[in-house]
Amino acid sequence: MRAVTLASLRAHAARLVASTLAIVIAVGFVVGTLVLNQTSRDTLLQSAGAQYVDTAAVVTSRDGSSLAGDVGTLAAQPGVRAVEPSWETSVQAVVPGSTGARYLTVDSVATDPALRWQQLSAGRLPTAPGEVAVSERAKAAVGDRLEVRSYDTTTGEETTSAATVVGVVDLRGDPTAGLYGQAFVTAEQAQQWGATDPTELRIAATPGADDEAVADAVRDALTGQSVTVRTGTGQAEQEAADLSGDTLALTSVLLVFATVAVLVAGLVIANTFAVLLAQRTRDLALLRCVGATSRQVRRSVLGEAALTGLAASVVGVAAGIGLAAGVSALVGSDSPIPLAGVSVPLYAVVVGVAVGTLTTLVAALAPTRAATRVAPLAALRPLDPAPLRSRGGVLRLVAGLLLAVGGAALMGLGVVLGGEDGVLAALAGGTLSFLGVVLLCQRAVPPVVAAAGRLLGGLAGVPGRLAAGNATRNPRRTAATATALLIGVTLTTAMVVGASSTRETAAAGLDAEYPTDVVVDSGGTDPLPAALPGRLAALDGVTRGTALTGATLTGPDGEEAFVEGIDPAAAAQVMRSTTKLSPPALDTVLLPEWQAQSWGVAAGDPVTLTAGDRSRTLTAAIGDTEVPLLAAADLAGLSPGAPVSAVWLRLSASADQEEVVDRVTDLAGTDAPLARVTGLASERAALDEVVDVLLLVVTGLLGIAVVIALIGVGNTLALSVVERRQESGLLRALGLTRGQLRALLAWESVLVAGVAAVLGVALGTAYGLVGAASVLGDVGEIVLSVPWLQVLLIVAVATVAGLLASVLPARRAARTPPVAAIAG
Amino acid sequence: MSVPLMTVPGEAPASHQSAAVRASGLRKTYGTGETAVDALAGVDVAFARSAFTAIMGPSGSGKSTLMHCLAGLDTATAGQVWLGDTELTRLRDEQLTTLRRERIGFVFQSFNLLPVLDARENILLPMQLAGQRPDSNWFDAVVARLGLRDRLRHRPHELSGGQQQRVAVARALLPRPDVVFADEPTGNLDSRAGAEVLDLLRSSVRETGQTVVMVTHDPVAAAYADRVVLLADGRLAGEIEQPTADSVIDALHGLGA
Repeated sequence: MRAVTLASLRAHAARLVASTLAIVIAVGFVVGTLVLNQTSRDTLLQSAGAQYVDTAAVVTSRDGSSLAGDVGTLAAQPGVRAVEPSWETSVQAVVPGSTGARYLTVDSVATDPALRWQQLSAGRLPTAPGEVAVSERAKAAVGDRLEVRSYDTTTGEETTSAATVVGVVDLRGDPTAGLYGQAFVTAEQAQQWGATDPTELRIAATPGADDEAVADAVRDALTGQSVTVRTGTGQAEQEAADLSGDTLALTSVLLVFATVAVLVAGLVIANTFAVLLAQRTRDLALLRCVGATSRQVRRSVLGEAALTGLAASVVGVAAGIGLAAGVSALVGSDSPIPLAGVSVPLYAVVVGVAVGTLTTLVAALAPTRAATRVAPLAALRPLDPAPLRSRGGVLRLVAGLLLAVGGAALMGLGVVLGGEDGVLAALAGGTLSFLGVVLLCQRAVPPVVAAAGRLLGGLAGVPGRLAAGNATRNPRRTAATATALLIGVTLTTAMVVGASSTRETAAAGLDAEYPTDVVVDSGGTDPLPAALPGRLAALDGVTRGTALTGATLTGPDGEEAFVEGIDPAAAAQVMRSTTKLSPPALDTVLLPEWQAQSWGVAAGDPVTLTAGDRSRTLTAAIGDTEVPLLAAADLAGLSPGAPVSAVWLRLSASADQEEVVDRVTDLAGTDAPLARVTGLASERAALDEVVDVLLLVVTGLLGIAVVIALIGVGNTLALSVVERRQESGLLRALGLTRGQLRALLAWESVLVAGVAAVLGVALGTAYGLVGAASVLGDVGEIVLSVPWLQVLLIVAVATVAGLLASVLPARRAARTPPVAAIAG
Repeated sequence: MSVPLMTVPGEAPASHQSAAVRASGLRKTYGTGETAVDALAGVDVAFARSAFTAIMGPSGSGKSTLMHCLAGLDTATAGQVWLGDTELTRLRDEQLTTLRRERIGFVFQSFNLLPVLDARENILLPMQLAGQRPDSNWFDAVVARLGLRDRLRHRPHELSGGQQQRVAVARALLPRPDVVFADEPTGNLDSRAGAEVLDLLRSSVRETGQTVVMVTHDPVAAAYADRVVLLADGRLAGEIEQPTADSVIDALHGLGA
């Protein structure tokens, strides 16, 4: 029988190519995900570890207390060559070529060469005060002189000094690089710029000393202090783990999708084997006629499945590694999930091959059992044209209903509960109910297809009516085909809807927290020029702006207080949300919490503000503001001609936020050299970008499940074409043109794909909304959003793809000669 | 369209002018070179309008191939086939398809009906494919004559073999085609159901002037025809006018069958 297995593999190689595609894609997906996960972890470890590669040990303060006093003690420990505190602070720096001040984080550079981890892309590291190396984000070149404003952390006193750029540090691939520029200076300079109380010490070992031994010695020396001591490697792993929290979550999500791909592939493979075996019913029956036992036939067919699965899995593993390498090369290290090269863990290969082969075998079991029940005499009988009836199991129906209803209830509970428990409940409910839905599809899909078919019959004439009849004549097969597609479409839609809601909710939350895109304030006591607000509002990329006036008044406690006046109508147009900061109406003063406490007033209490001989009593309100805020008209009444103290700006969503902020900084710097520019415009843009990238990746990956399902649609049609050869011949004899016969197959495919797409989209939208509601429950106010355009696009793509899947089978059907009706 | 008013002089022998279907020098070869087999080795034959003709011959005589070529189901290797004054051998697949649904009716031995359509839809199928509406009086007449009135809503698998063949006959007769081709129409039926179908075919010829050409290997079935054309080894081997079962059996014996 082995000869028969191999011979039939050879003979059906061409058909198998199409069917193995499903396995190749699914396995490729699984392996690709595992490899990308490993690669991402390795890359993080490498880039986080780059800082600690020659570091023997790292001491971190757990309570934020200074470790400066321990340097001497530690330097005396055996094996310790150098102890370098990490001095950190931040400054505002004016870079030549642009006028506004930029925020730079400052870190000290070690003097010991082993602890100087910074990779330079130009110049050298600073060796004396007055020298600085900057990261590329700071947009300065070697030789530039920076005007640096630093602040004394205790007195808040501002000092201005100059520093020369001597080097540019390459931070690419460093996940901690962040949004701001970084400056690296000597320890002495860092302290001059305000760095105090280092909380991290890096220790270099003498040559030959063991890192673990050094770390132990350090730990012993610091017994009793609230510190954590790790070796350099340990610290790198810790940082990588901190950073990869997000990656890990993404990996588990991807693995869920991979499971989906495997499930869909299983359905498709089962259908494919049904195709292959149906074509060979007579061959198999002949084998039985000449004396093969049904066991032998079964073993031969299963052997074929195992070999096919194995070969396809091997190709799939290679494809997955290739996919990961491609993604890695494309995404590179400059992304939220850094990737460099490919790391192929052995387990990924093993899992890939095992999953592919086992899925194929399991999927082939049912069709094989059916095929081996073939009576030897079937070899001599013509195929039975009577329609097959589905024996829908009552058990399946009951299980499906129980799972669907129970799961839906759990999901509802999840939404109501909220929090982590809520998410877990919703997740479990979603999984269970979806399993139920898949089971119910067997029952639910055929009637829906039939109903849609009646609609089609009215529209598409005779081929449409025939297609509608054909689509429902083998309900079980139609259901399996549609289910495979439905799973992919449901999950894609759930993802798109969920992500859209997540983004809207997060954006709303961000809006409430930071209602103003950009704030330009005077940064000191000097007011801003009166013309600045108009000039800023006219900048390219700025939608509108409003000026705040400022004056120093006397509060109810007799102390002076700086207050600002705002035009509530204009502010409402600039602000993205007034949930947390509602601009005060006339006769109202909005107080920050601390000010309300020091004045001893609560919301609704009267507050009297005075300026010289003028005074006004206003109603207090409490809100998220830095200084007391009142209506501009009220402030003008107290302090006529109060100058401009700040400008609030709203940026256009379509402009490059970073560029606009740079333009605002430059202009503000020219007109008012001391002006400070702050705001979260760039964070909002970054959030959008992350969600977009994630959505793109996830949709692409789920697209794979849809592609696999469509191969299934094609295979099912191919099977139908084979089974209906006589029928096609009859239709041709009776006058159906080749074009009409192709149209018949196309309609049949569109009908099944369209019904699956519409049902999938409806289900997916529900799942997406429930998922978003349960996950975002405790974030705050949930904004549910259905991106209708994308959802419609999914339906259109799935249906058109169904049409494409019919092309090859339809061509084959159209080649059926009319004589086939008689010749059989 | 259904009745040719004139034929092109010189192309067709005068005696065949009233023929519904005719073939001249018809040759059909399967395979090439040494393995080539002539299924039809030059056949000249004509089938009279409003007549019931049977094609007979032993297995492998080429009778089915002849019918396929005459009906535009298969292409000839050489020679010509005319349906009225239309030369089928010159038509492309698209034109042949249209011609089949408008001018030819078929009754096959088995698998005549589409399982997804009910009897009524099956009967109407060719006319609907052609985008034509049947004359409802004629539809009722055909259905009544074939005794199918109570069966119109039934799917094929709910009908007996004889009923299925009667539906097929109704489908073939409904568009009033130039000719109805029947390929072993009684091959799968018991003798009573078979006799019923043959009676219906004969009465359609007698009462409405329908032209019917039937391939059969059953002398009893052939005896229903007005004329029997005998075929052997891909060549015409004689014919019998007003056949009886006995005269057909004798003629077949003469062919060595």
